[in-house]
Amino acid sequence: MNPSLKLGLVLIISFELAFMQSVIANLIVAGLGLIYLILKRVSPKKILWMLVVSIIPVFGTWFSFYTHGAGDAMHSAWLLSTRIYAYIFLGGILSYTGTVDELLGSLEQNCHLPSKFVYGTLGAFNFAPRVVLTVKQMKTAAMMRGEALHVWSPEIFFKSILISLRWSDNLSQAMVSHGFNETTTRTHYDTFAIPWWNWPVAGICLVGLQFLAFSGLF
Amino acid sequence: MNRQTTSNKTSALSYSLRDVAFIALTGVFCGAIFFGTSLSYNFLAAGLAAIGLGPFANDVLLGLWMIAGPLAAMLTQKIGASTIGELLGSFVEMILGGQWGAATLISGLVQGVGNGLGFAMTGYKRFDKLGLLLSTITGTLITFGWSMINEGYGKYNLGFLLLLLLVRFISIGFFAGVLVYWINKLVEKSGILNRD
Amino acid sequence: MDKLVINDLTFRYKNSGPDIIQNLDFTLQPGTFNVLYGPSGCGKSTLMKIIAGLYPEFSGHVTSGKMYIDSEDVDNWSTQDFSKHVAFLFQNPNDQFSMTTVKREFIFTLENLGMPVEEIEATIDRSLKRVGILGFKDRQLDTLSGGELQKVSLAITLAMDSDLIMLDEPFACIDIKSRKQLLELLKDLQENDHKTILVTDHDLMGYQEIVDALYHFNKGQVRPVLDPEKVFATYQKENRQLLFEKPGNGVESIIDLHELNLQNGTKSLINSASVDVFKGKMILLTGENGTGKSTLFSALTRLHNYHGSIKYLKKDILKYNQRKYARYVGLIFQDSQMQYLKLTVEDEIKLSLKHTNYPDFWTDETIEDYLKQLNLDQLKDHVVYQLSGGQKKKLQIFEMLILGDPVLLMDEPLAGLDLHSTKTVMKLIKEVASEQELTVLMISHQLGGLQDFFDYHLQLKDQCLTYTEVLNYESIS
Repeated sequence: MNPSLKLGLVLIISFELAFMQSVIANLIVAGLGLIYLILKRVSPKKILWMLVVSIIPVFGTWFSFYTHGAGDAMHSAWLLSTRIYAYIFLGGILSYTGTVDELLGSLEQNCHLPSKFVYGTLGAFNFAPRVVLTVKQMKTAAMMRGEALHVWSPEIFFKSILISLRWSDNLSQAMVSHGFNETTTRTHYDTFAIPWWNWPVAGICLVGLQFLAFSGLF
Repeated sequence: MNRQTTSNKTSALSYSLRDVAFIALTGVFCGAIFFGTSLSYNFLAAGLAAIGLGPFANDVLLGLWMIAGPLAAMLTQKIGASTIGELLGSFVEMILGGQWGAATLISGLVQGVGNGLGFAMTGYKRFDKLGLLLSTITGTLITFGWSMINEGYGKYNLGFLLLLLLVRFISIGFFAGVLVYWINKLVEKSGILNRD
Repeated sequence: MDKLVINDLTFRYKNSGPDIIQNLDFTLQPGTFNVLYGPSGCGKSTLMKIIAGLYPEFSGHVTSGKMYIDSEDVDNWSTQDFSKHVAFLFQNPNDQFSMTTVKREFIFTLENLGMPVEEIEATIDRSLKRVGILGFKDRQLDTLSGGELQKVSLAITLAMDSDLIMLDEPFACIDIKSRKQLLELLKDLQENDHKTILVTDHDLMGYQEIVDALYHFNKGQVRPVLDPEKVFATYQKENRQLLFEKPGNGVESIIDLHELNLQNGTKSLINSASVDVFKGKMILLTGENGTGKSTLFSALTRLHNYHGSIKYLKKDILKYNQRKYARYVGLIFQDSQMQYLKLTVEDEIKLSLKHTNYPDFWTDETIEDYLKQLNLDQLKDHVVYQLSGGQKKKLQIFEMLILGDPVLLMDEPLAGLDLHSTKTVMKLIKEVASEQELTVLMISHQLGGLQDFFDYHLQLKDQCLTYTEVLNYESIS
């Protein structure tokens, strides 16, 4: 499915899910999400990981509504803990069945997102491995001077800003020297069309969602 | 030779390629800094869950996820920077494998709009203590409103609900308010943003 | 028709700052090979960025002057017009790319220029083939060496069809073999594809046979050199030697490497190295660019994965508490700013004094005395981020020496220092090291004046680490 359309669909479903009051609807959405992931041959390891990391928050949510919930506490407990699974599998669809390049490329072509946003973001993403390494270096460098940097230390953010400034400057100069200009028309080597069948599929998903939302299931 | 220098003089509305890359990179950095925190989140959550206080893990750390937005606003002083910063930040989290998937993106949008509202109330003129204070207040209220719907906070009893609200305000007030203020002070004093 | 004409150009970074370029005139003939030389940091890069149209777009102000490229006034050119005429290769080849693979970078570039999609594939292949690196097409950029990245950059300039190719200190990050290949390739492009080449360098080795014109950059101005032979003659290399002892039997070791294997991506850097680092000694670590010296330092400070074992005082370094270990083996990073935590020079020094292992040694007088020697004594209230490159480096070295960690790794601490500062810094390191019995392991490309400072010499060559007694190097006479 076209990446932009997929993003839009997942966002609409996630948003509407927040207002829905049905445990079964949550389970159906989570189940369909899981099936989609399996059909797209996402590795079982990743799927397992999604199940495992969610155990604590799911249990935490359930137990907290069980103890502090008002009204039908049992229903709230089940409703909100199953909702987490629905979110996680919907999120997995975005994270694991497409790349950032594809998503941003599609947003550029199908949604006409200005190219500076597309390539500014893409360039920053391509720095992600270097960013992770640099954060490690910053922490080590501070320890070598006898200080520890924590998530609440302004210094670690300040240094990140310092480096972001330098890198964003380099990055934009690199892009401009390779011909990037936000006002000129670019061609597209990879084209992202929206195939005709995408629309009925999206339509069915949305109609199905409304059925779930208003059917009054438990 | 007086060529137009578009990126040197930008208005509060227009973003240059460099601005976008800068905001996105700070977002990636913020993500990488509290990536280690994702682990501590699970520990904290596990501990709190055992005593029926699971949601507190969420509220105690929520401010952490909301640093990127006000930081972008304070540094670039641009309209909408807060929302864009937060949105890019959550996009990064989603792609780098944050555990909340698509919900992250929606929360990011809610958080960004929440924070940005505070700055908007000053007419995008006060990128200082007042702007930050308002931003933490609107940030807390808007995200809490979303949690009432999305995470079912509306279904808690009132005492528990008020406690959650207080914890959230303290978290956002510290991380997205006080800490951002400190960081901005450092940036100002260091003079690294003076492009002149 | 001239390729490039600059008349009366004046440029400054800050409105209130000094002119970096002052009433400069400069002309380039089409199809020629030109070298612009001058000391590092004199403004050569700035000039190139102006010619490439990056400045004043990204930084600074042009206060006077006219520029013509192919006889066209560039006043109304967009950055894209510049990129179609002028190719610019950054000093650090890693800064050139914004995508992840060679092919993606090509596609990004050609899309920017609006090339019809059906021509893109063939253009990529043709350009890569011309440079002889067709096999790199699907490679990840971060697996390529500095020299390989330069070749990819050149191939991209061919695809962009820019006639003027500028390279800013292109050999700073690459080994001698790649340097030779790259020079041959540039000459080939000049002669057979009629490109105009402009290279800046502070070192003129290997240029004599290939240049058409030599220019000197000095005090913000460029002057053609009328008698290049004379200049080349003064840049002739002289073979020199540094002599060291070989570690004897009675010396105690502080760090032991055992069957150490280091890799960078898929490239093997160090293969099964077993050597000791000796306690209280000053050791010079040399090896060609890209052999893995910095990566070795990263491994020693637990910032890079490795196979085999590294022991500090006979205990595996991974078994130490991270915070404690960071105070046993310190690293002077290449980027000085990585080391700073405070804003002013004074606060930086105070922080080091707070954690020093030798509080009795570092009295106020001693500190003051060394600050004077380093010419930092008048800068105490200055913001560290506003210091010059050399001042930053000196402060960084000083504050790490104050800490007095048992082992101090130094990654190119002399880069960017002038001769006088180099001597002061080396004297400081030697004094403090012997006073506090520090073990120093230093990477340095700059070798002049280092005789008598080091006990041993450790060489990284052919993926092996060995102590050697003789270090041969070339130096400008």
